[in-house]
Amino acid sequence: MNTVQYFIAVAIGIFVSRIARVFGYGAGSTWPGELALRVYPKILQQLKKRVTKGIIYVAGTNGKTTTSLMISGILKNSGGTVLHNTSGANLLNGVVSSFFNLWRKTDWAVFEIDENSLPTLLRYIHPDVLVLMNLFRDQLDRYGEVDAIASSWRTTLTTLSDTTTIVANGDDPMIAAVTESLKARVVYIGLEDPKYYLPKMQHATDSIYCPKCGTRLTYGGVYFSHLGKWACGSCGFTHPDILLTAASYTSPLEGVYNIYNTLAAAAVGEVLKIDVGLIQKSFDAFHPAFGRMEEVLYHGVFIRVLLSKNPTGFNESLRTVLASDKKGPMMIVLNDRIPDGTDVSWIWDVDFEQLKNYPFTLMISGCRTYDMAVRMGYAIDDKKTHMEHDENLESAIEKIVHKANDGETVWILATYSAMLDVRKIITGKKIL
Amino acid sequence: MKSKKESYSITIGWLYPELMSTYGDRGNILVLEKRCAMRGIGCKIMPIDFQADEKDIEKIDMVFGGGAQDRQQGILIDDLRKRKGPVLGRLLHNNIPGLFVCGSPQLLGSFYMTGDGKKLEGLGLFDMESRHFGNDKPRCIGNMVIFISDAYKVDDLTYKNTVVGFENHGGRTYLGDGLKPFGTVLVGNGNNGEDKTEGAVYKNWIATYSHGPLLAKNPHIADFLIAKALEIKYRKVIKLSKLDDTLMWKAHDVMLGRLGV
Repeated sequence: MNTVQYFIAVAIGIFVSRIARVFGYGAGSTWPGELALRVYPKILQQLKKRVTKGIIYVAGTNGKTTTSLMISGILKNSGGTVLHNTSGANLLNGVVSSFFNLWRKTDWAVFEIDENSLPTLLRYIHPDVLVLMNLFRDQLDRYGEVDAIASSWRTTLTTLSDTTTIVANGDDPMIAAVTESLKARVVYIGLEDPKYYLPKMQHATDSIYCPKCGTRLTYGGVYFSHLGKWACGSCGFTHPDILLTAASYTSPLEGVYNIYNTLAAAAVGEVLKIDVGLIQKSFDAFHPAFGRMEEVLYHGVFIRVLLSKNPTGFNESLRTVLASDKKGPMMIVLNDRIPDGTDVSWIWDVDFEQLKNYPFTLMISGCRTYDMAVRMGYAIDDKKTHMEHDENLESAIEKIVHKANDGETVWILATYSAMLDVRKIITGKKIL
Repeated sequence: MKSKKESYSITIGWLYPELMSTYGDRGNILVLEKRCAMRGIGCKIMPIDFQADEKDIEKIDMVFGGGAQDRQQGILIDDLRKRKGPVLGRLLHNNIPGLFVCGSPQLLGSFYMTGDGKKLEGLGLFDMESRHFGNDKPRCIGNMVIFISDAYKVDDLTYKNTVVGFENHGGRTYLGDGLKPFGTVLVGNGNNGEDKTEGAVYKNWIATYSHGPLLAKNPHIADFLIAKALEIKYRKVIKLSKLDDTLMWKAHDVMLGRLGV
């Protein structure tokens, strides 16, 4: 280790981090790390020594933020101190940045990790627990194809030793394939409950052909996308044995996807030998992150914002809204900025046809208002469902809030940057 | 007895819907289905997949193909070439219209040279070839606008000489001398980023690098395909009623405006 370089890098990181905080710059969660990395690229190998008990990585297309937050909750409830990165700041620079807010040492570190950055981050740290949630198509223009990510994961995962335990989603055939026969210990979670089976397969599936031999998988039932009770009739690749199922813990949040988040967090708790009762207790006290089912009171109306950034996430958001006992108008905000993906083709993989006869007003907004309005127009029955659009997000929110009758909840489904814009308007807060 | 108004219907064959639908390609099918339904035209979707019977494929009135990821393409390519190739060729020569978006045009040509120098044979229906020059050559990604001739105009319906889409491809395609492009690139890369051509047209098949829901913002192309399918099936020109496409054209124009066309 080059001590001088290391200390300069840390000093720069802390300095930039302070400046960003004092002046309220939103980039405080990535820039300090970015600059420190330029001075000393291997800085993470030193910084990790400030974590005394264990490091946990959470990776996957959907559910990273909620699962990380749940894991932090469990660890804090068990009496530990926890360092975590800012939601969305999940590349190498975001992980490094998080250390500059840490004055002493920490017992635990919980990091959500971007799919493409996982191989890099595994080079610097072999975590004690690695959570692999799922792999779905997401922002093809930025991430590339699901299969390419899976194969780069596989290559890196084979380098892990048995000091790492992987918590993997056994209902996702691709996750099962990349975690097969590793030196690392692997425990699987899965729903194992036909109550959650969908009546028919959704269009947005990515891995319904055997990842090993290419034969069409058979499903005893599908929970959503390609997650389910699968098996390959040709090469014999089958669903792995499950450690925790939907019956093991109670999810604090609505939505089938939140059961997966809950089980993944619980499995991490169990791997770290935390008491089962304490794990459930921290779920019961769980408060969701903004845009992940958090409820906000705005001008006397309850608003629930659901981050919906890819076909599978959107389908599950819609399913959650339709199943919820909170009813009311819905707004969809579609942006195409860099964090959302500049290509909005994916909205045609979402089954908006579920809203065909939606009995409340639908409002469309965002940078790509018209693309979204066209999509919705082709999905709904315009004699039964009323749709409006307004490119101006602020006035769109005003309008939809006015549409809500007493006791109704306004649902807002938004892509990533759109969710931040909505948050700014309804809570007045700028940064995540 | 008063004669009942004649009712029309078409069947659209969709190539391997589970394997060739990478990113919103299904949008084209949803658009075609609903535009038929709003006009009282029956529209059946038939998957052209491993189980599809050649006799049924023979009877379809339109073909649609989307994009496949590499692994998915590997799963289906043999079946496509050996079991579907001849019948698809007959459809093409019988003037049955078709739309091929994203990566599927590469399958229509004579061959596709992969980044590591492997030559994959195509269906050989279009006189064109595609090459991938390796991952160090940047992919062509972004919104795209092309200029098209009046060849796709349907009587009485609103028409524009532009098509807006989104391209995302690593390979480059070069057309043979006899093959016409679908249009001329105004914004974006098109076939190869060199000769300003985009896509290819042969008989009534349109192939384009534009991926995903091409027809969503291009209702004129959707109606061209529907009109052609009806014309070939019923051997006469069938008038298409006008639909309210305000939102579709607005989406089209907003993108033209953004890209400065």
